[in-house]
Amino acid sequence: MVDFSTILAGLGDAFTLTNLLFVLAGVIVGQFVGAMPGVGPVMTMAIAIPFTFVLNPLPAIGFLVGVNKGGLIGGAIPAILINTPGTPDAAATAIDGYPLTQKGKPLKAMKMALYSSVTGDTFSDLVLITIAAPLAIIALKMGPVEIFALMVFAFSLISGLIGSSVTRGIIATVLGLLLATVGLDPEHSTPRLIFGFFDLYDGFPIASVAIGSLAVSEIFLRLAKMRGEVRPAVNIPRDQTSDQKNVTFTEYWACKYVLLRGALIGTGIGAVPGMGSTAAAFMSYASTKQSAKDPESFGKGDLRGIAATESANSSVAGADFIPLLTLGLPGSASAALLISAFLIQGIQPGPLLFEQQGQLIYGLFGAMMMANLCNFTCGFFGLRLWAKLISAPESVVFSAALILCVVGVYLSTGGTFGVYVMLAFAVFGMFLNALNYPVVIFIIAFFLGPRFELSLGQTATILRGDLMNLTNHPVAILLFLMSAFCVYWLGFRDGKSKRSIEAL
Amino acid sequence: MNISKTFKATLAAALLTLPGAAFAEWEPDGPITLQIGFGSGGSTDTLGRAIAASMEESTGWDVIVENKPGGGGVAMFSSLVREDADGTTLGIGVTIPTLMNLATRGEKLPFKADSFDYLATIVLAPLALVAPADAPYNTVAEFVEHSKANGGSLIGFDAGPQRMIMRAVNKSADAGFEMVSHKSGAEIIQGLLGGQLQAGFGAGAHIQYLDSGDLKMLAVATQSRQGYSPDTPSFIEQGFPYSVEPYFYIAAPDGLDDEAKAALAKALDDAINSASMTELIGNIMQTTPNNLGPDGTEAKLVNGLSDISALLAASED
Repeated sequence: MVDFSTILAGLGDAFTLTNLLFVLAGVIVGQFVGAMPGVGPVMTMAIAIPFTFVLNPLPAIGFLVGVNKGGLIGGAIPAILINTPGTPDAAATAIDGYPLTQKGKPLKAMKMALYSSVTGDTFSDLVLITIAAPLAIIALKMGPVEIFALMVFAFSLISGLIGSSVTRGIIATVLGLLLATVGLDPEHSTPRLIFGFFDLYDGFPIASVAIGSLAVSEIFLRLAKMRGEVRPAVNIPRDQTSDQKNVTFTEYWACKYVLLRGALIGTGIGAVPGMGSTAAAFMSYASTKQSAKDPESFGKGDLRGIAATESANSSVAGADFIPLLTLGLPGSASAALLISAFLIQGIQPGPLLFEQQGQLIYGLFGAMMMANLCNFTCGFFGLRLWAKLISAPESVVFSAALILCVVGVYLSTGGTFGVYVMLAFAVFGMFLNALNYPVVIFIIAFFLGPRFELSLGQTATILRGDLMNLTNHPVAILLFLMSAFCVYWLGFRDGKSKRSIEAL
Repeated sequence: MNISKTFKATLAAALLTLPGAAFAEWEPDGPITLQIGFGSGGSTDTLGRAIAASMEESTGWDVIVENKPGGGGVAMFSSLVREDADGTTLGIGVTIPTLMNLATRGEKLPFKADSFDYLATIVLAPLALVAPADAPYNTVAEFVEHSKANGGSLIGFDAGPQRMIMRAVNKSADAGFEMVSHKSGAEIIQGLLGGQLQAGFGAGAHIQYLDSGDLKMLAVATQSRQGYSPDTPSFIEQGFPYSVEPYFYIAAPDGLDDEAKAALAKALDDAINSASMTELIGNIMQTTPNNLGPDGTEAKLVNGLSDISALLAASED
């Protein structure tokens, strides 16, 4: 264990005005780019990392952590305001956030997202600071077979989101998985379904697919619905009472179990490298919806929906640091970027990190605390600004959003090819919507598809093709049983009760 | 006033440097675009951006960095080959994935190994076969014996040639190796630490785990031994005649004129061997910059193709 004076010295290093300003700058940048559909914190971090070479380690990492954390809140903003989640993480936030905006309560929805996000984030930071080491050892025991079982479990939970038509849900899932197979196969690197486009070697760029089918398709739809008159993108009644604008403590406290479940799911998923915050967000949303007494109120502007999603996807960010700091293993794209930032500073994240750089790590923890505080404060004041911005005429808001999507995808995929893919998926998304197929299910399947395929291949090799070898992996068996249970209770039972109601 | 002073100073400086500059007169016609064949945040990206910054500083040219990910550099090289050979477009890739693609599906690619003018290598990735520190084997031969006695072993890899080496060993020794595909070197280390894998490949990330006592080296995959672990013999020394040498390298479209090629090669060499790059490469890969120059780079690519083809043949059933 690191001795107490190191902890104090580290925290002492962190709490200086310079560091606070760097963290604050990071948070502001992060919230801003998170809210721009198409840009996002990951790309911003990638661009910022070479510039941090000239800084001292603590302000450099503090700035990047600020960007990362700010992005968590920023991402929810366009999802809630104009139903265009800039990242798949926020796709589940839009399900309940956007209906609230339509009811004229965008501020309330955004505040709930802010509170939930900061709650989840702080929770996982506390877990990181207190019990990172033992948790990392447990997470290390999650090998490919266990990860595969965990993915099956995630899919079975998410199947609860499929909605009224099981057939359409399954078709959307299969479409997502099918499109995820485009590119080199994970075992032998043979190109599949690329039709001569070398740009497709690594599959469809995730940014293009996510932004195209989630954000751009919505923008197209809204542009198509425009008439000659000038209307604001969102109508916020002027004479709102304060409880329509704010989240009361009672409303927040009513979500305590939802928030806790979200934070636990997010922390668990974050501690295991390879799953990611999108899966956490959807798992938390699905389980909250299924365990509610009134699941039909979800999707119509239920605060619990926002709380579930945002607490889960934000708590992944803190938990990502668990394998990163204790073992040097990145759990996500932003964690991988932080590793390269550490390396550029001459710091090796890994088993010796706490021993060699204890003071720096506790400084980093201090910076994370400051980032959470900055996130809350900036978010609180920034939300009004976003709400003002969104009352601009919709012709301005949506064309600006479209330009941002194009620029963001151009930058992150390195050329116009990604933009064409994005536009193709925008049209595809509109078709799915028009034909009543759930786009979010398609996206989550596409998103988890490559990892699912890789773990399936790894599992087949490790088990040597013999299912009996599963007996060496009790955790995986447990997860498979839980999945079967989930499908039965969430899927079939739910379907039956709905059908019997329809029959009446 | 300030402006005229600056102007005079610049003029004086220009006059002073004129005689010296007569040798390397070549200047790029506009900004140089340095295309990176991988996404942002990886080691190629980090190296490329640092080289661009260092080149800007020492030459005064504008160097713009662009990421063109896809197929381990194939997407980038496929478009680079169509660019004008005026020295304003360069690409950074890694030899092994490029060679693998040329060896396995060369007829479908829009470029060949000789479609480029090669300018420099940056560094050789210290690829090695590693195992958990408490494993009861210390060499490839002992690992083969252990695997035979225990009904096979699982080996983690994250690129085709690593798989090919172990399959070639497996074929000659009948060791019962099973190859498990991974997404990155970090995930292989995770599998080794978590006890799911009996051995796996590391390309630099493994080195700190040697210091911490969690992992040990069985063999290096490069042709000669590696500086951080001079006692670990190569596969070749251990009687398995295979090697994989992933060099990070820089190429331009074929047909650069000699002046441009010399000027670019010199600028790149200065950047690669600069103090800041040496520090960065030490931080990222625990090794030193290794620029083979234009001819050495070309040799690595052209000869490398036959090496890879031989390895491919040795690994096939």
